[in-house]
Amino acid sequence: MKITKKIITKIEGEATLKLYKKDSLIEFAEIEFWQYRGMEEYLKNRNYMDACVINPRICGICGHSHLIATSKAIENALNIKITKKAKILREITLGLEIIQNHIKWFYITLYPSVKEINYFKALEFSREIAKIIALIAGQFPHNSYAVPGGVTCDLTNLEIIKVKNFLSKMFDKYQEIIDINGKSEDLEILFEDIPKETGKGINKFLVLGDNLYFKSNGNAEFIKEEDSISLNKNVLYKGSFYEVGPLARNLENYLIKKVYEKYQDSIYTRIFARLYEVNLIFQYLLKRIDEIDINEKNYIKPTKKSGKGVGIVEAPRGSLIHQIEIEDEKIKSYNIIVPTQFNLSNGTKESPSPAQASLIGEYEKQSDLIFKCFDICAVCVSH
Amino acid sequence: MHSKPKVFWIDAVGCNGCSHSFFNYPEIKELLNKVELLYHPLLPSPEFKVQKSDILIIEGALKTTYFPRLDFNLVELISELVKLSKKVILLGTCSVYGGMFGEGVLFNKQKEGKFFEFKEKMIALPGCPPHPEWIAYVIEMLVENKNILLDKENRPKEIYSYTSHMGCLRNEYFEWKIDALDFGTKEGCLFYLQGCQGPFTHSSCNRILWNEVNSKPRAGTPCFGCTEKEFPKKNLFKTETFMGIPADIPLGVSKRAYLTIAGIAKSLKNDRLNKRLIDENN
Repeated sequence: MKITKKIITKIEGEATLKLYKKDSLIEFAEIEFWQYRGMEEYLKNRNYMDACVINPRICGICGHSHLIATSKAIENALNIKITKKAKILREITLGLEIIQNHIKWFYITLYPSVKEINYFKALEFSREIAKIIALIAGQFPHNSYAVPGGVTCDLTNLEIIKVKNFLSKMFDKYQEIIDINGKSEDLEILFEDIPKETGKGINKFLVLGDNLYFKSNGNAEFIKEEDSISLNKNVLYKGSFYEVGPLARNLENYLIKKVYEKYQDSIYTRIFARLYEVNLIFQYLLKRIDEIDINEKNYIKPTKKSGKGVGIVEAPRGSLIHQIEIEDEKIKSYNIIVPTQFNLSNGTKESPSPAQASLIGEYEKQSDLIFKCFDICAVCVSH
Repeated sequence: MHSKPKVFWIDAVGCNGCSHSFFNYPEIKELLNKVELLYHPLLPSPEFKVQKSDILIIEGALKTTYFPRLDFNLVELISELVKLSKKVILLGTCSVYGGMFGEGVLFNKQKEGKFFEFKEKMIALPGCPPHPEWIAYVIEMLVENKNILLDKENRPKEIYSYTSHMGCLRNEYFEWKIDALDFGTKEGCLFYLQGCQGPFTHSSCNRILWNEVNSKPRAGTPCFGCTEKEFPKKNLFKTETFMGIPADIPLGVSKRAYLTIAGIAKSLKNDRLNKRLIDENN
């Protein structure tokens, strides 16, 4: 048996992939992250509001999901209900964060590992998406506008109209990347020389968040973290590994289901689901924005000072979980479980994690693509 | 034809937020066409190789505990790269002061940092993240070999001579000392109760707007002083006071002068600003 160690870069952060090969086929893979930033410790003993500034900084590309998960965890701990208006605004900004993530991932992270591409068109698109987030939240990346109790902004109809028109415009523009019927020239070019059946996972899917149109199919109480061979902890649901992310949460969609039935949970299906999800988010947001009642309150002041809570959101890469314990307004403990931990856990040959399973039985030359199609966030993992 | 300046972009301990902020620069394609990108942690670039560069961009903080980067010890890697570069841009608060993740390259919060001896060739661009226009400005100035006016902490004066308070839409409320009692209102200044650090934070967030459209205070969120040495301080949503007086006052005035003007403003009621700005009943 031959073992190769590869450092995977050009993801958010970096990871080491240890491939065990026999006759040039991958027999087993181990995934290692060796970086640690100590975010959870950093939060301890601070006022819980500080988490709204610190946690977005967990990640430069999906920090807004961390902000929303933070506010939801605190709201859960302190029994705070927010208005429908605040909820819709959060859905818009979080939905848009998912969109800018996917487009950057496809053209900057994934595509160049196979073919050359003009990635500036992706930056042009994501920049406009970030602008819509900023109209509501002040800036992107790293705003703190979603606070426990609602949102800090107080929009007028002028901004709401602008956001709505912007959404329509970008939805239209997105049709050039993948249209509502699932046609995508760039995706087909990417797969010109790659079998679409490549990289099948474990065919077990989990959705824990219920934001946007996503429907949870599980209960976070059954989540367990355990130590692994690398610094990142394994994440198990009822004792088993599960795949989280766009494929998991969109299997009910007719088109995605059709692709899934044809290619199962291969890299093609995974990439298709992620690209196509953007269309579904745009459609959902365009519907939701009309439900905003401008006269509703933006913010309701919390009254409780202590409690324990959980905040879960479907982030760009899947289910993101924040757990908090607050005592007299101070953070007593904080725990973060990120989607990449689910997908990139280290299991055994007999019981591999989704990413390990996708690599087993494939050629090494495909490993970069297979690995990156999970949209790895090593930055989040090294929280 | 002259060869293009060689740019090496390395990420230390951080969140990649500086890179993602830079990605929002509208003329990024034109800007990157002016340089030769030797390495970038996210953008397509040649294979990683420790080498000479004209401009080294460091994003992220240093950690003294073992922190591997591309099979190197991070601090050793940064040391090599700094020595091999002509100019160094310290991108973001982590890189300049340390921020929340460790020590900065030039400073360790208030103190001198590990690479202080190289101050001469360093340009500090604090901010969490720094504004894309600021990054582009420094790169352009270096590419064109123009002189960048720097302050004592090596920050470009054309950016950091401003405070984030300058241009804030809530300035009238600040002038008349009318506080925002809660979040989620158009009205009121965030300086007195909500912890806004705008009047004493070096940055031009309300002059050069974020994503070309907005800023945190305009969206009702206080300025957290993310360009400053001690970012993130504690109790970020509360204004620290001593006997009712803000502990930190606007830059450049004495406490006595500030209290005099604040007292006078408060005693003179502004009827227009004491009401809701948009109210269907009046």
